[in-house]
Amino acid sequence: MEKNNRLLNGIKFFALSVFLVLYIFPFFIVLINSFKERKEILENPLKLPSVLNLSNYIDAFTKMNYLHAFLNSLIITAFSVFLITLLSSMTAYIFVRKKWKFNQFMFFFMVASMIIPFQGIMIPLVKIYGSIGMMNSKWALIYMYVGFGASLAVFMYHGFIKSIPLELEEAATIDGCSQLQTFFKIVFPLLKPVTTTIAILDILWIWNDFLLPYLVLMAPEQRTLPLSVFYFYGTYTIEYGPAMAALMLATIPVIIAYLLMQKQIIEGVLKGSIK
Amino acid sequence: MNVNQEKTLLAKLKTYLIFAGPTTFAFLTVIILPFLYGIYLTFTDWNGISATHAFVGFSNYLQAFNDKVFWTSFLLTLKYVFFTVILINVIAFFLAYMLTSGVKGQNFFRAGFFTPNLIGGILLGFIWQFIFSNILVYLGKSYNIPIFSGSWLSDPDKAFWALVIVTVWQYTGYMMVIYISGFMNIPRDLLEAASIDGANFYQRLKNVILPLMAPSFTISVFLTLQRGFMVYDINLALTNGGPYKSTELISLHIYNTAFLSQQYGIGQAEAFFLFFVVAAVTLLQVYFSKKLEVEN
Amino acid sequence: MKRKILSIMLTFALVFSLMAGCDTKGSNNGESNSTVTATKTVKITLLNSKGEIQAQLEEAAKVFTKENPNITVEVIPAAAGQSPFETVTAMYASGNAPTMAMLDPGDIAKFKDKFLDLSGEKWVEDAIDWTLSVARVDGKVIAFPFAVEGYGLIYNKAVLDKAYGGNFDPSSIRTRDALEEAFKKVEAIGVKALEISPMDWSLGAHFLTIAYAAQSKDPAQVAQFLSDLKAGKVDLANNKVFNGLMDTFDMMKKYNIDKNDPLSPTYDRGPELIGKGEVGFWFMGNWAWPQIKEFDTANEQYGFIPVPISNNPGDYGNSQIAVGPSKFIGIDKTQNNAVQQDAAKKFLNWLVYSQTGQDALVNKANVIPAFKNITLEPQDPLAKSIGQYMKESNTLKLEFNTTLPPDHWSKLGASMQKYLAGKIDRKGLIDEIENYWKNVQ
Repeated sequence: MEKNNRLLNGIKFFALSVFLVLYIFPFFIVLINSFKERKEILENPLKLPSVLNLSNYIDAFTKMNYLHAFLNSLIITAFSVFLITLLSSMTAYIFVRKKWKFNQFMFFFMVASMIIPFQGIMIPLVKIYGSIGMMNSKWALIYMYVGFGASLAVFMYHGFIKSIPLELEEAATIDGCSQLQTFFKIVFPLLKPVTTTIAILDILWIWNDFLLPYLVLMAPEQRTLPLSVFYFYGTYTIEYGPAMAALMLATIPVIIAYLLMQKQIIEGVLKGSIK
Repeated sequence: MNVNQEKTLLAKLKTYLIFAGPTTFAFLTVIILPFLYGIYLTFTDWNGISATHAFVGFSNYLQAFNDKVFWTSFLLTLKYVFFTVILINVIAFFLAYMLTSGVKGQNFFRAGFFTPNLIGGILLGFIWQFIFSNILVYLGKSYNIPIFSGSWLSDPDKAFWALVIVTVWQYTGYMMVIYISGFMNIPRDLLEAASIDGANFYQRLKNVILPLMAPSFTISVFLTLQRGFMVYDINLALTNGGPYKSTELISLHIYNTAFLSQQYGIGQAEAFFLFFVVAAVTLLQVYFSKKLEVEN
Repeated sequence: MKRKILSIMLTFALVFSLMAGCDTKGSNNGESNSTVTATKTVKITLLNSKGEIQAQLEEAAKVFTKENPNITVEVIPAAAGQSPFETVTAMYASGNAPTMAMLDPGDIAKFKDKFLDLSGEKWVEDAIDWTLSVARVDGKVIAFPFAVEGYGLIYNKAVLDKAYGGNFDPSSIRTRDALEEAFKKVEAIGVKALEISPMDWSLGAHFLTIAYAAQSKDPAQVAQFLSDLKAGKVDLANNKVFNGLMDTFDMMKKYNIDKNDPLSPTYDRGPELIGKGEVGFWFMGNWAWPQIKEFDTANEQYGFIPVPISNNPGDYGNSQIAVGPSKFIGIDKTQNNAVQQDAAKKFLNWLVYSQTGQDALVNKANVIPAFKNITLEPQDPLAKSIGQYMKESNTLKLEFNTTLPPDHWSKLGASMQKYLAGKIDRKGLIDEIENYWKNVQ
């Protein structure tokens, strides 16, 4: 019995490992090719690089305006996530605690809107905000992310806040706290698990988002990381060397963050899925 | 003192504005307003740049419905959604099962399979485009593997499967985590009781695991359905609709109609159609899944 | 507690304002509401849609600024994969219209209410006549012809010399049969005859349009042909020129090095094959020189021959290379102020009349200029070849580019791809082409 289990486990381990290697293979390909010159890449894409040539990286780094793009991505993601969590938690709190008809209506309205596909509103969105001159700005983009991300966040906070005992808040009110104070002192700290989950989901979404920034951010110096990689896919031909390096440069920050916070990330998704 | 104030309408308004004001405003102006304006646009002939446009009634809808390519694209998207939803969920379920059974290095595997999810769709598409058009072709030519000697991206059927493969690769990790949480919620004693009662693997699966995993199925299927219908990044980066428009899924088609052919009204009409379909499908799916959950 | 929230919001506001400073640096592409201050320096932008010369244009901008220290030119690359029209439209929509926009010929007319009237500019007189027809809208010249480009069958002279056992004379190929002869001779020396690139833009915008341009020497007739297509009045099945071109295409398919998997090559395969001498011919345009140069083994000896459309050497189209102005620059007058518009005019004049400008245009960017006064000869062999055809007036003028719908290359390119891969036959192709034109808005 023991032996059978060990054998089964061994087979499982082996199968999983092979599958994992195949799974991670694409990253490996990008890595080895990022050190080669375009000619070399085209002639033999599987060969290990003969020299660790960093020229592609330097080329990509400068052409992508990497620091700027990285900073843009960072600012946009950080502010958006901060605003989404802050504003949505407040909104959900009011929706739960104040059983007004209007609140119930708005809540339902927001949840229902989650079905609207982005493609359904991207054209009018661009036309409206373009005509009032609000495009090509990080702040416009952040504002839009708040609009887009609010529904899901409110939904998730709503479920969680319901489970917070009212007595805690009543105690605070008796102590003389205003509504806002009660929220920030008592309720918000208790929301930490949900906040973490939402933050993680939103960070993954916003950092990697392509279409919305593509439509909104026009000037090169406003570009986010995913956009700046697109730069290498030229009209006629793809500058493979720098493109591979650019892909690496764009994904490395995410991989590093992931390796450091892997436990929290997976836990966050786990918890989020339980709703 | 607070309780009395809240009774007045003004006080209620004030509270609402403070707590939910910004969110509501952003939500209305970013989602609802464009949505309504979009409906308006479907009745005009705007071409994207001119300052004026004319009212054209229902002709955009008529043109969209008469467009054979639109329907082809839609049907193709259905086929794509069908395969990706099944493959992703089956593989994710299986992986989750293996990775909650106490295999060595479980956490390491979990982290590993989740990685593709970290990368944006557009970058993924590029990576895989390189693999399909260069790496596999190279392998095929060097080792004489006929299935790889022609680029998969130059044949409509193979390109379709390339899309499916890349999508499955990207999302399986995410859904796997959802299923893992589902597995972890199954009380151990139930499973033990079942095996003590003599139930084999399949019986355990059918009677204990699957029913208790119903909520996970609901979420996972909902997410994969929704993402399947709206796929754009991967489509653009991997095939860009090629070869000869044979893999232009619906979102890419809508984008091209609006921004490449400069027929915004028609593009928007198509987008609304997509919206109704997705809404209907996902609502139905959640409705039936919830029923399954309750009954169990 | 309230203080804490206040301090958070204050910090926010502070950071906001700091960051805002970061923005204005970039977004000041000259909104019309920015007052014309007494500042001496003017900044103008050029939206470049010729990705392959981005670096050269940036260099040119620097040289221009050295000679005109109060004007800085920022060259913005168009988003890859987007048509220039898409990029420029989006820029206008976001209030960031570039001072100068480099567009495809077909898009110019759509911007007629946004572009400056340039009819009074000196270079209008010096432009090669027919290159301006597209830029004349409502009687005004609203765009500057930036580049002339040509395409046809590029040949590797080293390979062809060997195949012909001596000096290969390109003018000896004036008929389809002569071309087939050439293919056979190349194969006889152990080299593959040609490479057909399957990209939709190559087949749809370049190859197919030869059929339009070769209809007649008279551009009015060509324009009529296209209107007739829209009206559904053209019977392509009986059109001599169209069928002649497609017969040549059929012949080319037989000798295509990738005939077993015709849709798989990427653009990069072409330069590699012809540069290394692994094929004798490649259908492409002169913009491909930098990529060919990377692989060159023929000592930079290349040239063009036209794609023959019949077996009668005297037919129009057999000795003429398809040439046309491929990019135009318009100056924005709606979101850029008068000072910026003048600076832009100066930049364009600099390209045409100054020695450094001409050098930047012709020698560095390998652009074939559209102006009679520029005597500078392009250095690369492909541009030289096109230039030669132009001098001898042996050209198929692509003047109709303006009347091609914006998705022509994409949709009919897809049809041509199906034809190349044998998925549809000649009748199927004709149906798709006729249907496309009938449904064009």
